[in-house]
Amino acid sequence: MSTTQTAPAAGRIDPAGQRETPRPVARRRRIDWRKNGEIALLSGPAILIFLTFVIFPVFLAAFYGFFKWDGIGALEWNGLQNYVWILEDPEFREAVGHNFGIVIASIVLQGPLAILFALVMNQKIKGRSFIRIMIFVPYVISEVVVGLAWSMLMQDTGAINQLFGLDISWLSDPNIAFWSLMIIITWKYIGFAVILMLAGMQSIPEELYEAAAIDGASFWKMQWSITLPLLGPTIRIWAFLSIIGSLQLFDLVFIVWGRIAPSAGVHTMAFYMYTEGHLSGEYGFGSAVAVLLFLISLIVGLVYQRFVLRRDIDGALTDAPAKDAK
Amino acid sequence: MSVRKAWAAGAAVAAVATLALTGCTTSTAPTNGGDKGGDGEASVLTIWQNSTTGPGQAYWRDATAAFTEEHPEVTFKIEDIQNEQMDGKLQTAVQSKDMPDIFMARGGGKLADVVKAGLVKDLTDLVSDDVMADYGDAPFAAFSVEGKIYGVPTAVLPGGVFYSKDLFEQAGITETPTTIDELNDAVAKLKDAGIDPIAVGAKDAWPAAHWYYWFALRSCDKDTLLDIATTKDFSDPCWLDAAEQLEEFIGTEPFNKGFLTTPAQSVANSSAGLIANHKAAMEVMGGWDVGVIADLTPDKKPLPDLGWFPFPAVDGGKGDPAAMMGGVDGFSCSVDSPSSCEDFLNFIASPEWQGKYATAYSSLPASAEAQKAVEGDVEKTFLAAYQESPYMSMWLDTLLGQNIGTALNDGVVKMFAGDGSAQAVIDDVSKAAERD
Repeated sequence: MSTTQTAPAAGRIDPAGQRETPRPVARRRRIDWRKNGEIALLSGPAILIFLTFVIFPVFLAAFYGFFKWDGIGALEWNGLQNYVWILEDPEFREAVGHNFGIVIASIVLQGPLAILFALVMNQKIKGRSFIRIMIFVPYVISEVVVGLAWSMLMQDTGAINQLFGLDISWLSDPNIAFWSLMIIITWKYIGFAVILMLAGMQSIPEELYEAAAIDGASFWKMQWSITLPLLGPTIRIWAFLSIIGSLQLFDLVFIVWGRIAPSAGVHTMAFYMYTEGHLSGEYGFGSAVAVLLFLISLIVGLVYQRFVLRRDIDGALTDAPAKDAK
Repeated sequence: MSVRKAWAAGAAVAAVATLALTGCTTSTAPTNGGDKGGDGEASVLTIWQNSTTGPGQAYWRDATAAFTEEHPEVTFKIEDIQNEQMDGKLQTAVQSKDMPDIFMARGGGKLADVVKAGLVKDLTDLVSDDVMADYGDAPFAAFSVEGKIYGVPTAVLPGGVFYSKDLFEQAGITETPTTIDELNDAVAKLKDAGIDPIAVGAKDAWPAAHWYYWFALRSCDKDTLLDIATTKDFSDPCWLDAAEQLEEFIGTEPFNKGFLTTPAQSVANSSAGLIANHKAAMEVMGGWDVGVIADLTPDKKPLPDLGWFPFPAVDGGKGDPAAMMGGVDGFSCSVDSPSSCEDFLNFIASPEWQGKYATAYSSLPASAEAQKAVEGDVEKTFLAAYQESPYMSMWLDTLLGQNIGTALNDGVVKMFAGDGSAQAVIDDVSKAAERD
């Protein structure tokens, strides 16, 4: 994560550095002092907050992960036993499986849908802004409200079954519950994807379409050959955010399913961390789960950056001198 | 280029670290819940209590004001803490050793953990003789750790089966069930009449787990059950037997439609809401259910046909069929609270203030004297059963403490969902006990 944040910043700093290159060496050093002072002053508070509330807790969690600790008494050294327990627990392995299922299903379901919605809304149709708002509203509503509403709708005796005269256990049947979760997630987060895609589409120069129209390209041909390729960076960034969100999913699962999530087959790693760490009062164990969750997210994030986001980052740095890569 | 960036970042960190150091040193020392005064010395007592609504808050204002009138040197700082946040807040207080003088506690394993940390005052010789004589030993059991008393009970909340008399009548059930066989008959009759027999909020785990607690209470003999918190040994066959009986009972499908995703209380489609609106006939719950159901009836008044009967006896069970399962609420003093702390706890344990507490919290008072003044037919029924019970166990999750308690609750819920088995419940609990 941190590399994504610094990389674009590097791109912004570099042109400034380039402008300075013709100046005499000695003079540049003196200006650097002032400049560095400014950087320290301006970025200091943010770095301090980041260190205190992100980096320090990460190390603290890693530390606690080696102990048995009930949150009250003394720390009791437990070596790697917590990690052995976690990895031996079939419930944790199931949770990891669910997370990756959600990652894939989110991208497969939301991606094409969001692009289609964005395509429609990118046309000049009546009530466009109204539709935009309607699609974006679920994303703005709090997870708790969304969770409570869907849990009532999807109850065995809930509105969906009664309205359509069905008798389906949307939430408690382990074969169905996962897809119910995907319905809720798609409904909730599609607005965010649509907004991103729309923004991406609007940054595509109109001239390209005009040229294609003159060449006699059909509407779909234009979308396929112009919109989709030029939307690539947006799609890749959206997919990255979606993956990270899916790996960390907790609130919707906890609110809709409560403690039956493991039986319904929808519990996630974060859910496992909450029940086995916090509810059980096993803070050492919970910290170890947190470390694993962090590592899994980190590895997925880094791999994605290395193989998928790479060209986007390269693109942002094309102005930078080649030696900078060293 | 990259060297320069690194240097800049380093400078930023150094500057910030300096800021942080200077900032930290000026922070104020933690306040410790008031002056430590002895008898007659001025003291301020901090109270952490769990009522955030009208009558409960009013109770604490009135009680503290009355105490200050008798002891002008003692004043109070009352903090209303939402019930669900009490445990977490107390845990933080324990870690920082910045304890309130008086805090709400429910005994069992959780209180024992705080006692082990050395932060709770031993009240064994500080509870007044009047209070001891009035209460008797039983309510104090929940607050005893290794034979010493660490809290004064304020309410007892025995459990049992709450039911709708109207729906029973409608199904042609004339007598409340006293054995599991009779309960099965009642379930069958209610189903025939098209009524959901039993509501349970399995989504919250503990309401489903209560079913197991009761089967265990009836199956296991007194000592096996009451000593489980210290032995943590589930090898006695009665524990598995209880789980198997519950599994068999779940197999008869006695619960409300969608019980797995039903919450326990506070919303209309909760198990309590189903009872309040005559959508289901029975619910196994603690004594607080009367008030919870009353809040969910269409007119927000107590359910007129609500009744109560003790959990039925099981076949071949070694437990006393009259034994009780329930909770006890109470208050403890932190280890370095002034002596006015125990004086105040003795004060609110008097029959007068116990009666007011019970009214404010819609609960049963722990004081035997105050119990005489209990009103309400349902409350009177379970009060009588409580008074006659040979022994009472705390809810097993409270008794066993957080770790094993959570494993037990989750194991039972899995069995409810058809995802586990009787043996798996015992295995899960034993595994958690090993980790403890």
